[in-house]
Amino acid sequence: MKQKSDQVEGKDDIILAGKGLCKGFPGVWEHLILDHIDIDVKAGEIHALLGENGAGKTVIANCLSGFYTLSEGQIYVKGKPVTLKSPGDGIRHGIGMVHQELALVKPFTVAQNIALGLSTSDLSFPLPEVENRVRELSENYRLYIDPLARVEDLSAGEQQRAEIIKVLYHDPEILILDEPTSLISADAEHLFEALNNMAKMGYGILFITHKIEEALAVGDRVTILRLGKSMGTRETAKTDKTELVKLMFGEHTPAQLERKPVKSNNIVLDVENLEALAANEEPALQGVSFFIREGEILGFAGISGNGQSELAEVITGMRRATKGQVIIHGKDYTNHAPREIIRAGVAHIPEKRRAMGVIEPMTAAENVVLKDIRLSPFSKGSFLNKSQITRHTKEIVSRFGALVSDLWKSQTRILSGGNIQRLILGRETWRMPRCLVAVYPTQGLDAKAIDHTWELFMRLREEGSSILLVSEDLDEIMALSDRIAVMSKGRIVGIFEGGEAKREEIGLMIATGASKA
Amino acid sequence: MNLAYLWGIFLGSLHAMVPITLTATGEVIGESAGLFNIGLEGIILLSAMTGALGAEAAGPSVGFLVGLGTGFAIGLIFGLVCTYFKGVQLIAGVGINLFSAGLVTFWLIHLGVPGHHAVAEESQMVNISTRYGDFSPMIFVAIALPVLIYILLFRTKLGLKIRAVGENPQAADVAGINIHLLRLLSTAAGASLAGLAGAYISVNWLGSVTKEISAGRGFIALATVVFSGLNPLLVLLGGFIFGFFDNLAVWVATMPAVQKVIPWQFVAMAPYAVTLLVVTGVIGRARFPAAMGIPYGRE
Repeated sequence: MKQKSDQVEGKDDIILAGKGLCKGFPGVWEHLILDHIDIDVKAGEIHALLGENGAGKTVIANCLSGFYTLSEGQIYVKGKPVTLKSPGDGIRHGIGMVHQELALVKPFTVAQNIALGLSTSDLSFPLPEVENRVRELSENYRLYIDPLARVEDLSAGEQQRAEIIKVLYHDPEILILDEPTSLISADAEHLFEALNNMAKMGYGILFITHKIEEALAVGDRVTILRLGKSMGTRETAKTDKTELVKLMFGEHTPAQLERKPVKSNNIVLDVENLEALAANEEPALQGVSFFIREGEILGFAGISGNGQSELAEVITGMRRATKGQVIIHGKDYTNHAPREIIRAGVAHIPEKRRAMGVIEPMTAAENVVLKDIRLSPFSKGSFLNKSQITRHTKEIVSRFGALVSDLWKSQTRILSGGNIQRLILGRETWRMPRCLVAVYPTQGLDAKAIDHTWELFMRLREEGSSILLVSEDLDEIMALSDRIAVMSKGRIVGIFEGGEAKREEIGLMIATGASKA
Repeated sequence: MNLAYLWGIFLGSLHAMVPITLTATGEVIGESAGLFNIGLEGIILLSAMTGALGAEAAGPSVGFLVGLGTGFAIGLIFGLVCTYFKGVQLIAGVGINLFSAGLVTFWLIHLGVPGHHAVAEESQMVNISTRYGDFSPMIFVAIALPVLIYILLFRTKLGLKIRAVGENPQAADVAGINIHLLRLLSTAAGASLAGLAGAYISVNWLGSVTKEISAGRGFIALATVVFSGLNPLLVLLGGFIFGFFDNLAVWVATMPAVQKVIPWQFVAMAPYAVTLLVVTGVIGRARFPAAMGIPYGRE
């Protein structure tokens, strides 16, 4: 290992800086993805970059590491202006990036993955040296990994260690980590310790996260990003959670939502002892039972990946239940086709809005009537009634404030995530569905759009819709839900009445996965 | 049926194996890098033509080089379309097949006898005569190449890089590899082997060019690649199996006893039917690069 400590004179050596960074993607005209961002990382510090999903954190990281090219602005390494045209350029300037979607070739071993990035001759076979060096790095940084293990056989935490070792192999001086704890929430302490060690050795570390606690725990300074704009940089010692929340979300105080108690005792959605497998054939749901009454919102809290997505998919007919029942208005709809479930009055705001919510190459109008296309007045026989569709789409677009330039011309692909979500919300709720399954409905939306969505949900509730709300945002769950279910490892570990629920108690349960005593 | 008879079938199978093994070995390189070239059939056909012309102009060795070069050139065009220009691989491949079929048909008319052109005896490559029979030198090339390509793909860093751009181009990109260039060169190198196969057919094996000279061998090579699961050593085995049936069909069809009972067209179907069976039996078990067929772009 190269000795880095001699390079650290004072703690104020800026080794990586970006000035006026701008990035716009072709076709995304609503706002710049990055809007004149200034950021710098000093040797020996951990600089946290904090923001919501869609704030532009990953884009900054990709620009600073050379994966994306900048639209405008200048990057400086140790005070010298540099132009990064590819990740290779980044590596040559000592910038190593650990991607959120790990950049590992799955069928390869750890050593093979590392060998890929070496500058040795193409006809060489450097694996033996790589294996030794990985063992050495593993030891030095206490990031234990078997160089001969195949990446696809490793756990998420191990894969991440492999990724970090891969980046360290190139002897970088600057390390960028993009949401490194999203895969390893349980193992985060271990990672923080390793990062602190590295900072002490003189690395400059840019740590990207959307979790305020993490930014405060691990960062020396924190820069807050909101919708592509920098909201300023703070020293973590001189700031606190309240200030960061304000900077991150704007002046969005969770509205005090008026609500009457649930009147009805009619059960709309009844789920009994549901079991299902995840995509990797592991059990995703294990004996999940709950019910939702007419005019009731049941919120599902929990860290994503604990079965919430699979639950929503099973209810809406997109994933097979291996056991148990889904009963809608007294009728068994277990493993029925999605179309039948839609007909039964279940609307769905899916988790992956671009992949599941819309057909990206189709136009806004086509997407808005996607589910009603067989019905009058939108079609007659085999033919579309374009004027009716236009009228209907216009109404939804204006009611939900979506920014769409041309209903029939522009592909949905070019719309921002927020605008796509507005179209989906409109499509799924205009009929006042009897039951709405909403998965992360406000993720990545700005404060105003979140308020609108919440009001919409409350109005639906008043009208008698039952809503199954999945969210990672505890404030959202607390504000909207009549009852709150906590999911952990495919089970419901507790159900609270909204009024009596204590934030801390739920938070603890989410974190530990332990059931209510 | 005596031993010499069986040895004859074996020898014929070896010769029939050559074009399929060469083409499939090349395609293994391309598919490992993530490019699926359905235009191999057209490359074989066109190179059979250009190879024959090259051989007649300057001798059989030049004919082989011209075939190789034709494959490389077409592979470059295909690769450019499918990497830098993010074209659809299937369409580009079909384009190659249509282009070649048209051009060769036209050229054969231009040469005099429509539909058929015999390569002059003195322009053909001479087989090596031994007391065990005549061997084309290309048989040894077709056996050695899969071994060399196996070493390249699995025992060198270049091989790692080629497989990485096919499996996870983003990871390869992050590792500083030029995705487009490597994919382009891989598919072009692969296509040049299909070109070599074409030249072998016209300049050495069959000694003539017809507009059906490739006879589906490009597609059978694609099937062989599936059979091999991108392992060049298995390509050798697969190539021999298909070569065996290809040769057997000709043999059986020309036997007077069979000719009277079964129309030769049915016997000629055998290699294709076997292909279909083997491939349907194998598909689903073999593992292909995750990013095969998908153009790569960063943003």
